[in-house]
Amino acid sequence: MRALKRILHVEDVPSIRIVTRIALEKLGGFEVLSCASAQAALAEAQAFAPDLILLDVMLPEMDGIELLRQLDKLVDLEQTPVVLLTGHLDQAQSAELGQLGVRDILQKPFDPLQLPTQLRTIWKAEHE
Amino acid sequence: MESTIPTQAPFAPRELSRLAALLRYEILDTADEGDFDDITQLVARFCDTPIALISLVDEHRQWFKSRLGLEARETPRRISFCTYTIEGEGIFEVPDASQDPRFADNPLVTGEPTIRFYAGIPLTSPDGFNLGTLCVIDRRPRQLTAEQRDTLERLGRQVTRLFEERLQKHRHAEQAALQQALLDSAASAVLVIRPDGRISSINTAAEHLLGYSEQMLVGHSLAATLFSQEALARRAAMLSSERGTQIEAGFDVLTAPLQDGQRTMREWRLLHRNGSEVPVLLNISAIHDEFELLRGYIVSAYDLAHQENLQLQLQQIAAQVPGMLFQFCWRPNQQSSFPYLSEGVEAIYGLSGAQIATSIGPIYSAVYPDDRAPLLASIREAASSLSPWHFEHRINHPRKGLIWVEARATPLRQPDGSVLWHGLVTDITERKAEQLELDKQQEMNRRLLEALSEAVIACDAEGNLTLFNNTARLWHGLDACKLPPECWPEHYDLCQADGHTPLPWEQTPLVRALHGEHVRNAEIAIRLDGVARHVAANADPLFGSDGQQNGAVVVMHDITERKRIEKLQREFVSTVSHELRTPLTSITASLTLVCSGTMGAVPEYLQELLDIANQNSGRLRALIDDLLDIDKLYAGKMHFSMAVQLLQPLLEQALRSNQAYAGRYCLGIQLSECPELLVRVDARRLQQVLSNLLSNAAKFSPANERIELWAEPARDGRVRVSVRDRGPGIAESFRGRIFQKFAQADSSDTRQRGGTGLGLAISKELIEQMDGTIGFDSTPGQGACFWFELPTYGRGHAKDEART
Repeated sequence: MRALKRILHVEDVPSIRIVTRIALEKLGGFEVLSCASAQAALAEAQAFAPDLILLDVMLPEMDGIELLRQLDKLVDLEQTPVVLLTGHLDQAQSAELGQLGVRDILQKPFDPLQLPTQLRTIWKAEHE
Repeated sequence: MESTIPTQAPFAPRELSRLAALLRYEILDTADEGDFDDITQLVARFCDTPIALISLVDEHRQWFKSRLGLEARETPRRISFCTYTIEGEGIFEVPDASQDPRFADNPLVTGEPTIRFYAGIPLTSPDGFNLGTLCVIDRRPRQLTAEQRDTLERLGRQVTRLFEERLQKHRHAEQAALQQALLDSAASAVLVIRPDGRISSINTAAEHLLGYSEQMLVGHSLAATLFSQEALARRAAMLSSERGTQIEAGFDVLTAPLQDGQRTMREWRLLHRNGSEVPVLLNISAIHDEFELLRGYIVSAYDLAHQENLQLQLQQIAAQVPGMLFQFCWRPNQQSSFPYLSEGVEAIYGLSGAQIATSIGPIYSAVYPDDRAPLLASIREAASSLSPWHFEHRINHPRKGLIWVEARATPLRQPDGSVLWHGLVTDITERKAEQLELDKQQEMNRRLLEALSEAVIACDAEGNLTLFNNTARLWHGLDACKLPPECWPEHYDLCQADGHTPLPWEQTPLVRALHGEHVRNAEIAIRLDGVARHVAANADPLFGSDGQQNGAVVVMHDITERKRIEKLQREFVSTVSHELRTPLTSITASLTLVCSGTMGAVPEYLQELLDIANQNSGRLRALIDDLLDIDKLYAGKMHFSMAVQLLQPLLEQALRSNQAYAGRYCLGIQLSECPELLVRVDARRLQQVLSNLLSNAAKFSPANERIELWAEPARDGRVRVSVRDRGPGIAESFRGRIFQKFAQADSSDTRQRGGTGLGLAISKELIEQMDGTIGFDSTPGQGACFWFELPTYGRGHAKDEART
């Protein structure tokens, strides 16, 4: 099994984006592409070719779910596992989440010390 | 010897009438009387016979009223000579009976007294009946001379006249006896007075009444003996002025009215022999004979002393009665009067008895003008229906001013068409004032209720609405209707607190209160035109003075605005919490990373500050998490992932997660026992509850004590999970609100012990939403034991399911 390496992180709040990126890079040793908006993510995702997408659901202009729908249509990203980071999830959307590749939902605020381990566990489960 | 038996004297046709006439004289079998014996002496001497008789012939015998020369008082009629005499007219004479075939065999002829000669004259009554005879008898044959016959006839007529006289005398004596008996038996005292005013007789009642015997009074002047001269003089003066002629102060005073043909009845006071005065009602009537000549007077005196006594008793009784006792005689078209009035007439009307003795005018005038017509109307009404009369009215009292009186009486129809009332009039001014005050108070209460911004509705024991104030009408958009309680929720559009679910009628606060319940702050909604008004209802049973429940009342307070504000507040807290979470997430995460040391070493003095910042950001995070949780729970938006699972691993996990935290305060947590049971819970939420209970226990535990955690089977197939600490326990005053939001035993606790004050409130909601119950047992000073109970699902393997 290939190790988890490249993570696409989408988060509009700069402070959280930075802390998360630090945790993932310094603690987890991952290669991280941090995007501040859905549009930026859509623009750069294919080129970055992430192993896993870590996505904040509450995004301005286009929310996380819509972003997933869009990403799902992109070549090479259909099978990419997704982990949602959210404080709140609309129940109506939950049924569709599995289809869109969502493997887990992590509650905000998250523990940055635990985050790399949590992602690796999901990755491991994905490849068993 | 049939032929020799003397012929039975034939019965005259008038015989019965004759016998009746004889009996009328009441002379048979009476004693000898000198008048009659004189006659027989005279006739015997004149006719020169040894025997002379006055014989009366009845049905079977002749009886001798007077007999000279004969022993027998009577002889049988059939052998009597006189029978022949009375059947004829004039003198019947038998010269020699022994030679007369009618008498030859007569025992009176053949034996003693050996009659030979008989001559008798019939005694004829004025109405023509021969009652008997006056006869002379000799023992030798002979004849009367013409002169003797004439004498016999004359004396016979004298006998008849004596009969008449005798009868009249008897009649007079009887009449006199009867008169006396009548007088004596009369209930009232009677005095018979001669025309000159002297007493001629008095009856026994008069003797008793006056203390004199008849003998002592007879011949004395009535006026001078039995009357007070002063009273007579007064009356004489009055009569004189009335009549315009001088009346003497004597007997004339009593008789004067009689001369005008008036029958007088008047109260007088007669002088008793012992000097006292006897009150009497005196009636005087004149006695005239058949020639209209004045023969005297009858004075009857009715004793009023007894009546006066009764009157006195009545007065004494009446004096005890508050108000005025009265007897009122009502005549539809004539003068009405008060035959009796107690002394209370002054207190009620300010009048004296004398003022209304003759006319009821003064009383009528005392009635307050506005009340006069209704008063008369009510009297007429009661007089025609003869129903008990009750009327309250006002009186212009000369001394007291305007007073309120209450009159009650029972009307009785009299034979003459008048109506007699017996009743009582009482002064109710004070009571009326109280009543008016009460009315004012009630009016005030009514206005108050109407002005109240709360809706107030009351009903009686039968559920009839008795009060429905203005606000109630406004909120319901209608007035109270006569409907059974079952129909209230639909008719008045009552809903549950959510504002749309119909309220079952048994849950209507007023119905609950009617069933004896005290309802506090029950939230319901009243809908009007599709808009729900949220109200908090307080309802209580109402009790009568006898302690029996006689209704219920509900007071409803509009909490629509309060609820709106609460919702806004909740939304505000929710929004703020969300907004706080984002910056807090980055702060917490950053501090966590720095403090973990993974980012590289930090100088020691900075590490300390960073630790403080890190701890407090953690507390802030917990607070926000709790606020958001409680908001979700109250709003019903908390998502539960329910799964049937073993209880023990859940407890073990809680032990692990909280051991470190507990270790900071005490010796840690010990899981003592747990049965192998399945529960249906959201594992994450149950952890939240257990963490709350365990961290609370840790905070209040003494340092060298251990917290106990265990589970045991409970009633009804449930399991009870308990957390016990050895802390100070729960203060009595705090127990009631321990599960409320932001409840902490001491407001300083938040800073001393940490925590948000939401933990137990959240735990209660969470447990209840998972079909459980939560509670605690505590003895102050001996620690607290918090527990929750959950339904169990037997023993076996967990099954997953989800629930919203």
